[in-house]
Amino acid sequence: MIFYLPKFVANDKHWRPHVGIRYLFYFLVPYMLTCTSLHADEFFEKKVRPLLVAKCYQCHAGTKTSGGLALDTKEGWAKGGESGAAIVPGDIEASLLIDAINYKGLEMPPADEGGKLTSDEIAILTFWVKNGAVDPRITGQHIGGMSRAEAKSWWAYQPVSPIDQADSPELIDIYINRRLQQHGLEAQDLSTRRELIRRATYDLTGLPPTYEEVVTFQQDPSPHAFRKVVDRLLASDEYGEHWGRHWLDVIRYADTAGENSDRPLPHAWRYRNWVIQSINQDIAFTDFVQQQLAGDLRPLGESTDHKNDGIIATGYLAVSRRYGHDINKDIHLMHEDVIDNVGKAFLGMTIGCARCHDHKYDPITANDYYAIYGIFSSTNFSFPGCEPIPQPSDLIPLTYVGEQAREYETYLAAKARYDANRPNNPETIQNLKDLAAPSLTLLATANVGQNGNEKLEVHLGDNRIHRIKKDEVLQLRINRNGNYGADTTGIRLNIQNKQDPEKNWSSQELIALIDSDSPFIEVRGARWAFLDPTNGPKYLVTKRLEIGGHAALKGWAFGDNPSFYANTSNTTVSAWTTLPPQTLFTHPGPNEDAAIAWICPEDGEYEISGHVLDGHRGAGDGVTFYIEHIQSAVFGNGLAKLGNANGNLTPPTPLIPPVAYAVTEGTVADAPLQIRGDPEQPGDNVQRRWLEVFGGTPLTNPQDSGRLELAHWVTAHPLFARVLANRIWQWHFGSGIVSTSNDFGSRGAAPTHPQLLEFLAGQVIANGYQLKPLHRLIMQSDAYQRSSHGSELANTEDPSNQLLSHFTPRRLSAEEIRDSLLLVSKELDTQPGQHHPFPPETSWNFSQHAPFNAVYATNKRSVYMMVQRQRRHPFLALFDGPDPNASTPVRGQTTVPTQALYFLNDEFFHSSANLTATIILASERSATTIEEIYQLLFQRMPTAAETDITLNFVNSYDGTNKQKWQAITRVLLSSNEFLYVD
Amino acid sequence: MTKTNGIHIEGMNRRSMLRSSVAGSLLLSGITECLALDDSGPLSPKTTHFPAQAKNVIFLFMTGGVSHIDTFDPKPALHRDHGKEIVADHPEIKERPGYERIYLKQPQWEFSPHGESGIEVSTLFPHVANCVDDLAIIRSMHTSHSNHYNATLGMHTGSFSVSRPSIGSWITHGMGTVNQNLPGFVVIAPRQTYAGTQVYSNDFLPAVNQGTLVVPGTEPVANVSPRLPKDKQRLELDALQAINALHANSRRNTAALNARMKSFETAYGMQQAVPDAFDFSKESKETLESYAVDINSTTGFGWQCLAARRLVERGVRFVELIDTGSSGNWDAHGDMMTHVALAKNVDQPIGALIKDLKQRGMLEDTLVVWTTEFGRTPFNNTADAKGREHHPWAFTSWLAGAGVKKGITYGETDEHGLRSMVDKVHVHDFHATILHLLGFDHEKLTYRHAGRDYRLTDVEGSVVKGILS
Repeated sequence: MIFYLPKFVANDKHWRPHVGIRYLFYFLVPYMLTCTSLHADEFFEKKVRPLLVAKCYQCHAGTKTSGGLALDTKEGWAKGGESGAAIVPGDIEASLLIDAINYKGLEMPPADEGGKLTSDEIAILTFWVKNGAVDPRITGQHIGGMSRAEAKSWWAYQPVSPIDQADSPELIDIYINRRLQQHGLEAQDLSTRRELIRRATYDLTGLPPTYEEVVTFQQDPSPHAFRKVVDRLLASDEYGEHWGRHWLDVIRYADTAGENSDRPLPHAWRYRNWVIQSINQDIAFTDFVQQQLAGDLRPLGESTDHKNDGIIATGYLAVSRRYGHDINKDIHLMHEDVIDNVGKAFLGMTIGCARCHDHKYDPITANDYYAIYGIFSSTNFSFPGCEPIPQPSDLIPLTYVGEQAREYETYLAAKARYDANRPNNPETIQNLKDLAAPSLTLLATANVGQNGNEKLEVHLGDNRIHRIKKDEVLQLRINRNGNYGADTTGIRLNIQNKQDPEKNWSSQELIALIDSDSPFIEVRGARWAFLDPTNGPKYLVTKRLEIGGHAALKGWAFGDNPSFYANTSNTTVSAWTTLPPQTLFTHPGPNEDAAIAWICPEDGEYEISGHVLDGHRGAGDGVTFYIEHIQSAVFGNGLAKLGNANGNLTPPTPLIPPVAYAVTEGTVADAPLQIRGDPEQPGDNVQRRWLEVFGGTPLTNPQDSGRLELAHWVTAHPLFARVLANRIWQWHFGSGIVSTSNDFGSRGAAPTHPQLLEFLAGQVIANGYQLKPLHRLIMQSDAYQRSSHGSELANTEDPSNQLLSHFTPRRLSAEEIRDSLLLVSKELDTQPGQHHPFPPETSWNFSQHAPFNAVYATNKRSVYMMVQRQRRHPFLALFDGPDPNASTPVRGQTTVPTQALYFLNDEFFHSSANLTATIILASERSATTIEEIYQLLFQRMPTAAETDITLNFVNSYDGTNKQKWQAITRVLLSSNEFLYVD
Repeated sequence: MTKTNGIHIEGMNRRSMLRSSVAGSLLLSGITECLALDDSGPLSPKTTHFPAQAKNVIFLFMTGGVSHIDTFDPKPALHRDHGKEIVADHPEIKERPGYERIYLKQPQWEFSPHGESGIEVSTLFPHVANCVDDLAIIRSMHTSHSNHYNATLGMHTGSFSVSRPSIGSWITHGMGTVNQNLPGFVVIAPRQTYAGTQVYSNDFLPAVNQGTLVVPGTEPVANVSPRLPKDKQRLELDALQAINALHANSRRNTAALNARMKSFETAYGMQQAVPDAFDFSKESKETLESYAVDINSTTGFGWQCLAARRLVERGVRFVELIDTGSSGNWDAHGDMMTHVALAKNVDQPIGALIKDLKQRGMLEDTLVVWTTEFGRTPFNNTADAKGREHHPWAFTSWLAGAGVKKGITYGETDEHGLRSMVDKVHVHDFHATILHLLGFDHEKLTYRHAGRDYRLTDVEGSVVKGILS
């Protein structure tokens, strides 16, 4: 149906009484000017549907039919509500809807639901009704945007035809060549062996072959020579790193969460490495995908390894992007990201499009969306933290295995010992405190004022010689007086047995012993203890090996203070105050006294002497000391026991508990439909089930989230094999048989070779969904092995080479460029990467004002680089790296001048080139330098013309020999031959 | 373009030295062929839907949320009602402890009429006030989110949650650019603002449309400073092109290879063109002083504004200037007085930019856009609170230059500046209007991605006709 608007406006008489024609005219003028032949369906989709959804659906859609009126289907408005048909197509006078939106009689939308429509909006609906109210939303006949009949016969949803042919690469060529013939194009000859091995090596590993590998292949007379090359490459670890990266593109892997502060995901790497490992092991792709959706529920085996892997695999779900300030408030967006990716990655379906309304073109309804939504909202996702809730949580613990498991046992034993003897056991302290109080005698006390130096013996007077029994305690306690601070206090406590002059002790001896294992030190039978007497006797268990940067100052403290410390050196230390050599100091705490206690080794008369002096002159209000005798051997023994226990002070280093950023089952419930995709406007609950177009199968076990069943539905569907076969083809040839490899729906591209795709999908199934047999099959075909030099005819008739008359050359990907530079400069670290050097979680204070932002240097392969969601890695962004926020089905291959600037001036590029040249110059060579360079960079010998150009360049370049060769190496590393694969 | 030609000719002369040593005329013809200028690149100028009034955009983004009621939207009633309690279902006070009750808070700066139009502007922007007869001030802006991140993303991409192409990317994608030696879309920012690189990302549009970040300082564009003396670099480039020509000559479909060869010549030119654009030594003393630029400094908003004029002069399509970053900005929760220094930082340079563009006749086809991500609340939890909170319900933006009425205000907020009331302009409408001025129907500037046609304005937006001249 075509509208000719000017005619319509000019002829119509019914307009005037209704809407101000003035407004209508305003609205229509642009249409008259720009789209005089707007199709009725398009008008509905562009103008009417969004308006109905935005302004009417809230009360008149789904099960919400205020006044009995539904406006989400044609039948709905035709049947109408309590007042009769809402719309009579073509007759605005008879259409109640038009009256209502003009606030004639009914007033719709009512004031509390947004109020009267604007004049433009009224004009849209009036125009639509007047012109027949064309409405493609017919219940029953459509699912989403496709008719049932069309959906039923949609090519991509049909069962894959079973393979009745032997798996032969020739069959691929039959399909390809047939279409070439139809278009009068000829297949090119096969490429040279050098081209082929370079193509295959980059294709399977993302790295170039060595010159030796090329020569071996060139000289191999075996008819299976190429098969041997392919087998060797498929067996290499580099294969999984390269093809794992393909998968990480599709599932938009990143190392940060993407919410407003872009928090790091320190455990996501386990999923990344699991992908690489699984691709290398060539596990069936059905298992590979089922594990990612529900590996926690059904691991691939019963071993601890299998269980761990099952959990780690669900990292696929956890690495979904998070949104907003408080992630939990925007969790519906995370679910959209999950559903969108599940649809595209596994099925080539754009399910995510049905969040706000039924899919416009494909058979996917909003109910389908929320049926799947319920499965994921019944799942508990690891929480990465966000600005208002900073710390990560719900990380899934893994079980230690192998060597780690033994280390863990050792750790647990050490931890148990530590816990049993844990410092300052509070029960013990309380017992001791209770014992001390009744048996304490104060022998002397005095204030030590500014610059004071009080001798103990002076203040002890008659108590100077005192009887102390074995295991009783003599204690010198220091109190801060009024002010805390500047209370550094020099102390000396001498104790002399009056019966035996040999038996004497002094706190001075502790200076040499201060670096012992604990604040409990035995000297000739007596035991000394550094204590906080206020909160116990509580040992000062924090060992200080330096104070304020002064290595000579060592001691014991609890927190900052109270503390005891010594200047252990023979020179004065000038710190916050002057600390003379070989002196013992104490500093009481803000609320705690400091005490040095001496546990008596045998009964006797003891002479007590020493001093307490102000060690921070000219500041503060001094301290008070107390000399106390605790006449309880039980107390002394208890103190000793506690001290011994505290000898084992260092807790065993906790092993970092292995955890996964993954998912588990959550609170299971169906989710409500969100009207217009707005979680604030819940509709009715939608039962969790499979997509309606595929039968709408309900869950067998609705008490579970449904992930496991979803995983089986997804992997059992014919789309799964088709989409996978197409991706494998695309990753070999650069373009898929369906070029929109994430969209096999009505808006996607049609397959260029439908039978070939069918054949490959059949092969995928016949080979148990393993990738390696497919690689072998495809790479053995002539189509894969053809020269990349397209004919003139092909370049004009089929410029994008859809028909594959030749192999399409390609530019190296960002990762391949970087890895190749690292390889030729011998800088590449081939060990797999693990976790990134993120700052520790406890230190995170990222916010939207100061989000996480880092680029970490590494010489590992690029697949192990840290990629952020909010800030793209500059190198990856420059060379069309994957989008960390959305599935990247195909890499771009742009050519922009800023890339050329990289080759001209980038530091990494220059250093790689210079290093490469330096290595070649230093090597023991049989070939000439230029030959060496060509062998390393291009895996071939230079031609005479190339030798001429390079040598001429080298000779005319001003500089040292090294500089000359570095220059030509830069040139060759910048060249098209290095950057393109034939 | 003359510069490019110059370089080519110079290069060719040097290349002739190689002639004797390589395959002679065959090679040379290959080079000539692949370096021949063609206008078929992805950024070459393109035709718009209808004739564009604006050819260039300078987009001034004040990050953090500028208070409308203290700058461009006078509200005398706020003085009268200062301290009066109000009730509002506001996103920033919902379930926020201490915000159970809110009170109106009066503006802290005086407003007075300026120019022939008599439009009132506060004392925070004396220089911009001097240009008020050139501005179309929209006082009825509103946005969809009260968070910096989301509102900033929305103002740049039309999306308040997920990544989408930036407005600058849409425009360069739609129009191309005229100087192939400079990027079409340049963002000059001392620091990253909210949402990071997403604010100038091409997202699913071709990578050539991504914003090139210029960080004021010694090397404004990454890798643009030659690492080698020019003559050596030229020698290497000539050898590279010779090697590439040999490679291309043995192949038939060489479009991609030639494009890459050409990109090296462009890059070579950029090494000159980019520093030239940022070299102010030929600017007059008066000009420098008007922008408040210190010739020895390569930072400051004056530097950014003058750089913007010079880039537009050289054909850069879209220049965005971000005044600060994701902290230390207009986000005056603690104290509105922080607006003083921030306004001082941008006021004189912006005034100078408008006058300079006008004087040079550039304002005829350059659109200057001044905006922020949202306004600030006319209330707080005590009337004497020093700061104001995020306010998505109302804020002020203005346009000046190509195709825009001069010396008008458009739209109104209510008497307290709480809600946009008359002729409301949503961010989508704002974008639709900017695209309109550049010759685009915002509903037709679409890009097919993942099975759907996307546009800057999502499924909304209408052109604000009232400000079109």
